[in-house]
Amino acid sequence: MKPRIGVFVCHCGLNIAATVEVSEVVKAIEHYPGVAHAQDYIYMCSDPGQELVRKAIREKKLTGLVMSNCSPSLHERTFRNLAASEGLNPYLVEVANIREYCSWPHQGDKETATKKALTIIKATIERVKRNQALVPLIVPLQKRVLVLGGGVAGMQTALDIANGGYPVTILEKEAYLGGRVRQLERTFLTMESAPDLANEMIDRTLKQPNIEVLTTSRIENLSGYVGNFEVQIRQQLPWVDPARCNGCEACVAACPAEVPSTFDRGLTTRKAVDWTPGERHGDRRIFLDHAACLRVTRQENCTACREACAEGAIDYPEDRLIDRTYGAIVVATGHDLYRKSALTEYAEDPDVLDALQFERLLSEDGPTGGKVLRPSDGKEPKEVVFVQCAGSRDPDKHFPYCSKVCCMYTCKEARRYREKVPDGQAYIFYIDIRSTGKGYEEFVKESVEKERLLYLKGKVSKIARKGDKLLVLGGDTITGLQVEVEADLVVLAMATVPNPGAKELARLLNINTDPYGFIQEAHPKLAPVETLTAGIYLAGTSQAPKDIPHAIYQAGGAASKILSLFSRKELVHEPLVARVDQEICAGCGYCRDNCAFQAVDVDPIRKKAMVNEALCEGCGACATACPSGAIQVKNLDSKQVFDMISIVTQDYSMQP
Amino acid sequence: MASNKWIKLPKENRDALVKGWLKTLLEKGAVSGVVVPSTLPSGANAAQSLITDPAMLEDTQPFAPVMAVSTAKILSRMTRLKPMEKPVAVLLRPCELRATIELTKLKQANLDNLLLIAMDCAGTFSVKTYASLVQEGTNFDEMEEKLFGGEEEPLLRPVCQGCEWSVPGGCDITIARHGLDGTTFGLIAHTERGEAALGEMEGEAWEGGEEARAAAVEKWTQDKIAKRDAQFAELKERVTGVENLLKTYAACINCHNCMTVCPICFCKECFFDSAVFEFESDRFMDWSKARGNLRLPTDTLLFHIGRMNHMSTSCVACGMCQDACPNDIPVAQIFKMVGFNTQSRFDYVAGRRLDEPVPLAEFREDELHEIGGE
Repeated sequence: MKPRIGVFVCHCGLNIAATVEVSEVVKAIEHYPGVAHAQDYIYMCSDPGQELVRKAIREKKLTGLVMSNCSPSLHERTFRNLAASEGLNPYLVEVANIREYCSWPHQGDKETATKKALTIIKATIERVKRNQALVPLIVPLQKRVLVLGGGVAGMQTALDIANGGYPVTILEKEAYLGGRVRQLERTFLTMESAPDLANEMIDRTLKQPNIEVLTTSRIENLSGYVGNFEVQIRQQLPWVDPARCNGCEACVAACPAEVPSTFDRGLTTRKAVDWTPGERHGDRRIFLDHAACLRVTRQENCTACREACAEGAIDYPEDRLIDRTYGAIVVATGHDLYRKSALTEYAEDPDVLDALQFERLLSEDGPTGGKVLRPSDGKEPKEVVFVQCAGSRDPDKHFPYCSKVCCMYTCKEARRYREKVPDGQAYIFYIDIRSTGKGYEEFVKESVEKERLLYLKGKVSKIARKGDKLLVLGGDTITGLQVEVEADLVVLAMATVPNPGAKELARLLNINTDPYGFIQEAHPKLAPVETLTAGIYLAGTSQAPKDIPHAIYQAGGAASKILSLFSRKELVHEPLVARVDQEICAGCGYCRDNCAFQAVDVDPIRKKAMVNEALCEGCGACATACPSGAIQVKNLDSKQVFDMISIVTQDYSMQP
Repeated sequence: MASNKWIKLPKENRDALVKGWLKTLLEKGAVSGVVVPSTLPSGANAAQSLITDPAMLEDTQPFAPVMAVSTAKILSRMTRLKPMEKPVAVLLRPCELRATIELTKLKQANLDNLLLIAMDCAGTFSVKTYASLVQEGTNFDEMEEKLFGGEEEPLLRPVCQGCEWSVPGGCDITIARHGLDGTTFGLIAHTERGEAALGEMEGEAWEGGEEARAAAVEKWTQDKIAKRDAQFAELKERVTGVENLLKTYAACINCHNCMTVCPICFCKECFFDSAVFEFESDRFMDWSKARGNLRLPTDTLLFHIGRMNHMSTSCVACGMCQDACPNDIPVAQIFKMVGFNTQSRFDYVAGRRLDEPVPLAEFREDELHEIGGE
């Protein structure tokens, strides 16, 4: 069939028309081979503009459209939808961008711009002549979500989705839910009990019938794509059967392996088999920590706990591998604190704590039952120094970023200290106080006044042991004086860092991390809960340091994105994907090596490349890498590109 | 896997000794075939054959200083779809070995069951030159000795004259000349497979071979690098810029011989032979009108630049393309220079190692900073 292409030239007000001689363009293109209709209008995207296009499609029986206007990112979809509603296949419509590529950069040079606009339009006509009518691809959608991490962000996401009616699996690497919040004593602003807050959420999570919780589990393998992620989960089966355990603690007494408690951040020890931390937690039970057990650490065949158990509740089953399909994945793997030993100018001393250790000291279920007693000798500290920005905002030696929550929790911790030790003094070294947030500034001001917190603006240069005391040397930038405090206890607000393993996880999920290992969002402003891999979302501190309310906002955001994804029956995928000419393909695998979406593979038997259309984003990296042109993107194949180039070389008389 | 066995034998009997050894391997069933240059019916030339009958090894010329077709291309043909089922011995020159390794990385060949025997190489002649040298009754053994002694031979193929890759790497067995005085030649096994095969060969232990060889190779390589750089300097002057390129390639008749014989050009259909380069008659008129004069056939220079773009990261500078050019365009030298420069950008040498990924298949976060400039 001979092509009957319609060319529509938009003035875009004066955006195009002031620089491109629009009427001349129409006159010149009217008789170009294959053009059946050419027309200009002040705003082609407006209702009357669109009506002109509709009318022309109908009356001139157009077989393709070249919309000469702004960038395709603005109105390609508009005109493709229009074409579809007139019965013209939308993939026979292409945009010739004569605004961003032509009128804007050539303002004031009408001759150049008009000539160039014509070249762009002619090249696009040549492309449209070879465009194929395409039909969108339909991809099935598995409406089931995998949430990685059972902290507050993960639980909130899971709850929101489960309440929407879809099944959710939470994978938690620890034996219990609750994450970091479970380690805290109170939360700032309201001074509510943090364990209560976590507990209440854990309770709701465990009772929500759509939520499945897999503790001591991690993701082992991932393939597939949005709607159809094939996931392999490794679950460490509990070595203590909670249904049979009566909590007699005979196993705990018998266990020879005593290790520092990670929950109490080394302030206490625990047996490899022991209670889950936090006395007040509803899911409290005895569990065996594989990572601490001699069966794992020393490969010994220790069965002390099994022998001690009268109930026969203990055995050592192998890990279970579970294969599942999920439609979407949420990364909520949380954070850790930067290690204290990295700050070499500060003494490694039992009385120099990080902020989470201090939270444990404050906690009723902590090592001291909630009394503030210093680890070295159990005395009540009367002078406590808090150091903010320990590792944060230090681009030369540590991290350039602000950890965002330390100003607020330091204030809270100092306040709690004063409430517990009314005759004690709290000093806080700070660079700036960042208390942006509803009620945050008021909280700091109130705490300073009520508890007489002594804020010193400056950095701490050294912490050293001096007899019974810790000598803290710092500068006060307001008075310009050196400050020396003889402290009983020092609390470091260590920088927030991603949980160890975040980078490996990101690699496994094929998502990006920022230079510090936080998971990279798709766009810092417009897509803060998405990753660049469709179907993988983010919540909580795995993305960046944030406080509880912000983690909850993001969890809600991720959940609503997934609910909106699941509101569709199936997924529709752009048909502008790569395809392989099997006759020409030599199976070298360049296409596979250059595909960022793992959409191409080489068949090991036939030695030919194959495209997984559901994964292909049509970027064309494969096509540029292929030396023989065997792999091509539909509607932008080599022939089309060369046809377009030949128009340009001819118009500008370049040497081919 | 690694092995290290060094022996040496009298050089004057090299041809007979090596043939005898290959024959033994074949007779004992250690290998099921041998790929080695054989004398052509004309008598004045040699080309690779796959020999399975031990008696046929009589007519072979393992050391004939000529490469009719790159053995890499032959091995690709033989093993791309299915590796050899039983061991096959292959005799190669270093550039053929590098091309074979490169093709293996590009999934166009499979090294399984190939016993790679490669030789120190002092250079080869084009098929035409070799034939006339045979007619003249040239003593190639003597000539080879002179070359290894450092003498120049203007009749050698130009790429060979400036080739710094005289020593094979990544083979099972090396047939060595560097590090010896010319009265003997060496056999070095680098792998267990190589050592097993070498078990069939009696020879004197080559004591101190490693040091002597390293020194000789170093000297040879430095000399050749100097020659190479001189060739590059002269060539760069001649071909830099579109005008000079057009002049250099003016004699091109678009026969695509260079692509056909290139071991690295593995495409089933060359992009430049595809329908992309078919245009309607109007287009030719338009092009011509734009300039008043359209050189025909079109796209000849584009073909060379495109091919360079496609394969220069893998070019082993074997020189086959230049031998195949009917109009003596210095294709191989140009491709070698461009290949050397592109590969250097990626700290890559085509075919140097099997475990080095080809540059286009690998992503390095820092490479974008390193490229550019100059």
